Amino acid sequence: MNPRPSYAIGTGLFILLGFAALAYLATQTTSVANGIASGNTYTLKARFQNIGQLKARAPVKIAGVRIGDVQSIALEPQRMDALVTLSIDKQYNDIPDDSSAAIFTSGLLGDQYVGIEPGGSPTFLKNGDEMVLTQSAMSIENLIGKFLVNGGPKSSSSDSAPASSAPPASGHP
Amino acid sequence: MNAVLANQKASPDALVQVRGLRTRIGAKTIFDGLDLDVPRGSITAIMGPSGTGKTTLLRHITGQLRPDAGSVIVDGEDVPKLSRRALFDLRERIGFLFQNSALLTDFSVFENVAFPLRQHAKLPEELLRNIVLTKLQAVGLRGAAQLMPSELSGGMARRVALARAIVFDPMLILYDEPFVGLDPIALNQVLRLIRTLNKTLGITSILVAHELAAIRQVADRVYLIANGKLVAQGAPDELAHQDSPWTRQFFGGEADGPVPFQYPAPDYATELGFAERTR
Amino acid sequence: MNANLRRNWLLQGIASVGDCGLFFVAVLGALPKSLRHWRETCRQVWFVGAMSLVIVMTCGLFVGMVLALQLYYTLSIFGGTAALGTVVALSLFRELGPVVTALLVAGRAGTAVTAEIGLMRATDQIDAMGMMAVDPLAYVASPRFLAGVIAMPLLACVFNAMGIFGGHLVGVTWLGLDNGTFWGNMTSTVSLHRDILDGLYKSIVFGGIVSLIAVFQGYTAPPTSEGVAYSTTRTVVFSSIVILAFDFVMTAFMT
Repeated sequence: MNPRPSYAIGTGLFILLGFAALAYLATQTTSVANGIASGNTYTLKARFQNIGQLKARAPVKIAGVRIGDVQSIALEPQRMDALVTLSIDKQYNDIPDDSSAAIFTSGLLGDQYVGIEPGGSPTFLKNGDEMVLTQSAMSIENLIGKFLVNGGPKSSSSDSAPASSAPPASGHP
Repeated sequence: MNAVLANQKASPDALVQVRGLRTRIGAKTIFDGLDLDVPRGSITAIMGPSGTGKTTLLRHITGQLRPDAGSVIVDGEDVPKLSRRALFDLRERIGFLFQNSALLTDFSVFENVAFPLRQHAKLPEELLRNIVLTKLQAVGLRGAAQLMPSELSGGMARRVALARAIVFDPMLILYDEPFVGLDPIALNQVLRLIRTLNKTLGITSILVAHELAAIRQVADRVYLIANGKLVAQGAPDELAHQDSPWTRQFFGGEADGPVPFQYPAPDYATELGFAERTR
Repeated sequence: MNANLRRNWLLQGIASVGDCGLFFVAVLGALPKSLRHWRETCRQVWFVGAMSLVIVMTCGLFVGMVLALQLYYTLSIFGGTAALGTVVALSLFRELGPVVTALLVAGRAGTAVTAEIGLMRATDQIDAMGMMAVDPLAYVASPRFLAGVIAMPLLACVFNAMGIFGGHLVGVTWLGLDNGTFWGNMTSTVSLHRDILDGLYKSIVFGGIVSLIAVFQGYTAPPTSEGVAYSTTRTVVFSSIVILAFDFVMTAFMT
């Protein structure tokens, strides 16, 4: 009888679409997308002397494949080192317990991430376990410092562009 | 009718009483001490040359515009002094027919007439529908209920606007130029409606119009306003034969008279530069 | 003479800003009453929001696509194309989404609202409402204002989603970026609170600005065809200026 229902439906659809877009953005493009499988993860701990620029939610990778992310970073007061909690996807539950964790930099100036180097042990890490073997973040400043002190005279032979090009070469252990 | 004329100064049954009304809009004086009465149940016409503020007077009666001085008493309430809420209460009892009908363009005819009801009364849909259809029937447009305002002719739109104005059974209807731009048939239809509403429902009507022939048919009483003052009043036939320069010019349709043909201007000869040459 | 004229012009400008502020207060004051007219508000959301969907979605898609192209070029200079998804998403959420949507809505819906109200004024519809004891502020102005505030953030979300889709289309499908890199970098950087919600706050404010200016211009439009035409133009001009100015201020506060 009156024209109301048509635009009421239109308005409703529009509002739903708007909220659907918001939900899509919130879940698919943000870090929520990483944590969305929170029920399907387990946590591991690792201690580092120095975490460099590592941030919470940074990726955790094995052989370059993302398997989880950094859940939290805290300073352990007694030992004065960083306790990093990693949340790992449940499907990667067969990480040997003698694996080592290290903090790498993606590219020269990229973000830092935790790389796990699998060991050979037949037993696997379980929820809440701590990885014993860790390697701190490589600090470019330190590397440059070392290079200037130790390696400086050695490579002075043909290098016209000195320090800056050398560190990445030695950054791959 | 003569009795009504006799006690024009203070009639107790005047629905609208205007006393000492003074209004200026910008630099222009619209009213300069206007007094008039509209008796209950009458049809009163207000006439006057264009630009004398006839529509402004209607706006004073509805409180859309506040005068600089004077009082406008409608049904015992002094309109310029009313609070917004009291004013809205009063307006629910006044119907206003706009010159260009002022139908809400995005509602159908039915919804236009139903609009005041929907806004002010929580009526069951069925009752509302019956009221609206009754009013549309009264103006002869029940069949057009589902049309949109853009599909109506000028006369039809005005009748719809009239149906909307009477939907709350008001005590007073103000018609702002109800006959302008209507063909003779539509004009007679509107004329008949005004008369019927007045006679059957006892609605007091105030009519602003120029159409002398039409006014003679319906109005009980005519006020002629010019230069911000009341210059003549009386029954239409009486007024037509009254011997004042205003009525003569207005009802005789003379081009020149108290209302000058020339808009006020400096001396013609001077402006053309002849004055100096002749000197 | 000229100085006098200019001062007059300046004073008029200040006065109209003041008028707009007072009008804003009046509209806010009429909001509670306008809740009774929720149907009208709903109709306006449909008009401002749903009817703007096509233009907003199309523009969102193209803005996302062109962003991806331009940024890919720029990022490839630094060898950072992996960050394409992040950069596209951040530029969209924080800046382009709210601002471009607001400009589009000002052009598409704001002008229509101004012209509609201006014509309603010219044809006495506003006065007629007053005569029917319906407060035109509560029935005409407030619902349109509210509709702008509701519709704008939703439209901005749709715009953003389409922009991401467009950026993905260009970056991954055409330029051959790795799908995982695109999403992974984006998801690890974009924050719900800092990026998406900040953008939403912006667009809520922009929604208020656009609809306030549109309604105000319509309300104060001289009741002639020329007057309505000028007011419509002013709606676009003023909305654009105020949106960009507020964008700067809000960005400065938020970061």
